[in-house]
Amino acid sequence: MIDSRTNRLISGFFKYLVLVLGAVMVIVPILWMCSTAFKTEQETIQIPPNWIPEQFTTEAFSRLWSEYPFISYFRNSIIIVFGSMIISTIISCFAGYGVTRFNFKGKGSFLTFILVTQMFPSIMLLIPYYKILSIYHLNNTYLGMILVYTSFTIPFCTWMMVGFFKSIPLEVDEAAIIDGCSRLKVFFRIILPLTLPGIAAAAIYSFNTSWNEYMFAQILINDPGLKTVPVGIAELNGQYKILWNDMMAASLISSIPLVLLFLFFQRSFISSLTAGAVKQ
Amino acid sequence: MSRHSTPFSARNMDRGALAGYLFIFPAILAMVALIVYPMLFGVGISFFKTNLSNKWEFLGLVNYLQLFKNSEFVQRILMTFGFTAIVVFFHFVIGGIFALLLYRHGPGTTFFRTVLTLPWLFPEVVVALLFKWIFNPLYGILNNTLLDLGLISENLSWLGSTKYAFICVCFVCIWKGFPLVMINIIAGLQSVSTDLIEAARIDGADGLKVVRYVLIPSIRPVLYATITLDTVWWFKHYTIVWLLTQGGPGNATSIISISVYKEAFEYFNYGEAAAMSVLIFVVCYLISVVYRRVFKDD
Repeated sequence: MIDSRTNRLISGFFKYLVLVLGAVMVIVPILWMCSTAFKTEQETIQIPPNWIPEQFTTEAFSRLWSEYPFISYFRNSIIIVFGSMIISTIISCFAGYGVTRFNFKGKGSFLTFILVTQMFPSIMLLIPYYKILSIYHLNNTYLGMILVYTSFTIPFCTWMMVGFFKSIPLEVDEAAIIDGCSRLKVFFRIILPLTLPGIAAAAIYSFNTSWNEYMFAQILINDPGLKTVPVGIAELNGQYKILWNDMMAASLISSIPLVLLFLFFQRSFISSLTAGAVKQ
Repeated sequence: MSRHSTPFSARNMDRGALAGYLFIFPAILAMVALIVYPMLFGVGISFFKTNLSNKWEFLGLVNYLQLFKNSEFVQRILMTFGFTAIVVFFHFVIGGIFALLLYRHGPGTTFFRTVLTLPWLFPEVVVALLFKWIFNPLYGILNNTLLDLGLISENLSWLGSTKYAFICVCFVCIWKGFPLVMINIIAGLQSVSTDLIEAARIDGADGLKVVRYVLIPSIRPVLYATITLDTVWWFKHYTIVWLLTQGGPGNATSIISISVYKEAFEYFNYGEAAAMSVLIFVVCYLISVVYRRVFKDD
């Protein structure tokens, strides 16, 4: 008895040791980002560096709005990200319902195709998009970027929604139809509200993907008035002089929306991320 | 009490197909217009020598043949395999260990789950620049800490030396990517019935045996989906490596996406770059086929 108790104590000790080590590895770089963001420029290049700023200042943050066009970067990111999020979430809801509720030829190939699209190197679409957007006069427009980002998010959102709709028993539809509901009414009034956690998860996934995207934005947007947040931050990474405090302040601000979103929707997000795979 | 005498499924069968197509039509339309069409366009470009505006010289398969003859390209592919293997391996080791420690509720699990998810929530650009700052040879916290501890005697240029750049880049990509694997495995493990685990324990299985014979086989579909996506995602990764080293020093961290990017947007060989990306797709597809074999047999 004593043996098993000491065993459990030891394994508990190791468990938390590993977890604490992991947490430290994650938190230390993030703390360093925060610390730098609140320093003055001189203090960022002071040797040895301080963990706690001697002169605590929010200068770097206010410079983002006054000296750099971050207001415009944020506006552009929000328009593009929400645009593609709304499109891909709506489309994937319909597809999820269609795939799980009806029998039709080609359903299997549709699902396989979704998975195969995950294998396209995104760079494979970069060169064609570079040309295609200008053919259709969509280069340097919000619509063009919204469509590009929708192409990234649609397959995985659909995959997630299929998993989510699968978890809602068919009997729910049947009961509603027997009570005289039309198919569309069943979809909008009964099934869709049940999948709200899944919709939130798909929306977060889509938000995350587009909010972070850098490569396409860097190549496809030439108009400075349309640049997004990641491009704006990367531009602070200048060739000759880098103001690390400004860069870290911008990094911190741009990371907050996602962290908040995730904390808010954590549970539904984690469960639906793998819903498709678990229930296959 | 039902008002219809025909059973539900039979009544819907005839109209089912059409309604099904209507529901997935928007998704199909979007994917054809936004993915299939650009992709075929890209395959088309790969047969030309072109500046994408007025010069289109048809070359057939010449771009592809040149790539295979070019030993540098083959080397890039091999290096990318190495990079992906290291990154994915550590994602699964680290993500797997944390998932095992955190999938059951206990004191502090919510806290640790949240903290360990953080890297995944930070944009790639932010992660890359943050570590560029940490690795900074002069003012970076890493060099200064190591100097203080007496582990190094002079400032090291982490991202500027062929010796360390590759390891540093891998480290950052592991840091950024392990949470997603952890989250997926946690979700998978939570769906394993506790009865099954209890039964194994009663039969005398210790912790490791439970993991090996109960947990891993139970979450095989999750592992399969996660390893396939993780491998493909990191094989074609670009942003972090580009911002950290731009593929340098020399070609020490020039993974394949960076080569494609340079070929297209620095040397303007769009045709050859398109051919390279088609080959990356083929490689990614082959990787997934191999995984399917490994996971489905057995």
